[in-house]
Amino acid sequence: MKPWLTLAVYLVAVLAIAACAGHDWATPSELLRAAAGDDSMRSRLLVEWRMPRVLAAALVGALLGIGGAVFQGVFRNPLAEPYLLGSAGGAGLGAAIALLVPFGVPQWLLLPLLAFAGAWGATATVVVVSRIAGAVDAAGLLLAGVAIAAILSAMRSFLMLALSDETVNLQVVLSWTLGGIQTPTWLGLGMLLAVAAGCLALTLALARGLDLLGLGETMATSFGLDVRHFIALAVLAGSVVVAAAVAYGGLVAFVGLASPHIARWLVGPLHRPLLPASALVGAIVVTLADALARSALPPAEIPLGLITAVAGGPFFIVLLAQRLRS
Amino acid sequence: MRAVAPALVASALLLCDLAAANSQAMTVQDALNRAVTLPSPPQRIVTIFASNTEMISALGLTDRIVGIEAFTRYPPDVLSKPLVGGRLGFSVDAVVRQRPDLVIVTPARQAANQLIDPMERIGIPVIVLQQGTVAEVLANIRLLGRATGISQRGDDVAAKLKARIDHVVRRVSNRERPRAIMITGRIGSGLLLVARTRTYTGDAVALAGARSGFAGDGLLAQVSPEAILNADPDVLLFAGNQRDLDELISRPGWRDLRAVRTHRAHAVSRAQLLIPGPRTVDGIEHLATLFHPQAFAP
Repeated sequence: MKPWLTLAVYLVAVLAIAACAGHDWATPSELLRAAAGDDSMRSRLLVEWRMPRVLAAALVGALLGIGGAVFQGVFRNPLAEPYLLGSAGGAGLGAAIALLVPFGVPQWLLLPLLAFAGAWGATATVVVVSRIAGAVDAAGLLLAGVAIAAILSAMRSFLMLALSDETVNLQVVLSWTLGGIQTPTWLGLGMLLAVAAGCLALTLALARGLDLLGLGETMATSFGLDVRHFIALAVLAGSVVVAAAVAYGGLVAFVGLASPHIARWLVGPLHRPLLPASALVGAIVVTLADALARSALPPAEIPLGLITAVAGGPFFIVLLAQRLRS
Repeated sequence: MRAVAPALVASALLLCDLAAANSQAMTVQDALNRAVTLPSPPQRIVTIFASNTEMISALGLTDRIVGIEAFTRYPPDVLSKPLVGGRLGFSVDAVVRQRPDLVIVTPARQAANQLIDPMERIGIPVIVLQQGTVAEVLANIRLLGRATGISQRGDDVAAKLKARIDHVVRRVSNRERPRAIMITGRIGSGLLLVARTRTYTGDAVALAGARSGFAGDGLLAQVSPEAILNADPDVLLFAGNQRDLDELISRPGWRDLRAVRTHRAHAVSRAQLLIPGPRTVDGIEHLATLFHPQAFAP
């Protein structure tokens, strides 16, 4: 019980700090006045813009945490990252198309949809390619993922060069690929909450299979798990989660890697507690990083992905060193 | 005394204008086809980007500007205004801190993307302007005049600019149009950025009496130096300073360009030709003297 209480307390504290954080820091009493329905410009800023943004950051972080836990479970590799599998790259390409090609469809609808389609398409391609190549093991999948991710990122770069002009600017796509939380309306936030809850439920249904897979493919098979089928299923479920995170938060690196590790220290390796714990850790990390992004360099905003990469990169190196030594 | 009288009449008209405008809300249609309603003429305006700031200043409303972004350098009396954004984007917090009653943006760098949505939710009117052609610059000056409750002055300012452009167009008409290429920047890999035809800069070049040095429109704004050497334009323009131009055209190959041999490689003002505002007309007048020196010979 204790780790859950700790995580909950940290999350509430971080949400409160993040709601105050900005170029103009708000006091708690200002927040309360705004929440009580005050109609000044400042209060409207806090209620209509900052609070949904803070909560969206927490939910995106939770999605990244869940996605990371699923992918690390599927690949039985603590260095696995959603981004290695091409799902984030696919979502990135889909979003670049949505941002750059004028389809005449509202962007709030088009961007999540194409990001989603891209993540699905890329992940499915990776699974199929690795099967055709005869690589059913995790290493083969990961390598196929790296290759697909490289192709997708090249395609995205070309689109950015060829289609950007003075109105649909390169920088919009660029800033999106650097990561940054989209501020939803309260209705949109409700949808994001539903998506996140759905993703958690979906992946919790895979928890037992992920645990079995952790014992090794032979052992998992002897426990009655159809390994190939399960891996394909779990990879697709993971890419749904990543697509949702990417649609609302752009490309935010390393949270999906770090959160499951921190969660494992707190609740152990079994996926039933690990998935929600990883979601909480991800929420705390991204909420904090986003507060920093919004408040550190006024009047500018630092891309969120840069903060998580700078903080997460060293974390990855430490993990890598530990693994190489063992 | 003669000079004072029209000024008095103008200011009297302006006062009437203001009085009339005060009594009614104004709705304008912006570049994204949004209907923007201003309950009364805005008094606290955040102008994002040099072009929008310069248009508001050209209307004589510099003192109503309460926020600019970091790359705005003109006119000098706006430089002390608070900044609401810069290279890393635009801050909703910083805009709201100025309690503006109007924000003017252009969809460039992330401005429109980052500001329209929050401002609409917070209830601050946002006008989005685009200047893809010189005609749109003038249309936007008129639109800003209407939006700020001084439509007459907006029309006057735009009409004066239009008259200057018409004068240039008349002087250069029926003359052989030289083929011109304008280099607007250089990027690290050795590629050059050039002004495309379907932009206000390309438009300014055309109005000043030249045609594009490239065959076709060109999809990409960045080209290799080779493409320029192959095109061998009659006039080579470099938006920047003379030293950088000299450095560029002293390179092998460049010296043999027709434009370099005939001394028709010129450095031109970035402020005039890369900011779509009132000063673009100064740029057109200058370009015309470069394209058609005989037409403007004293």
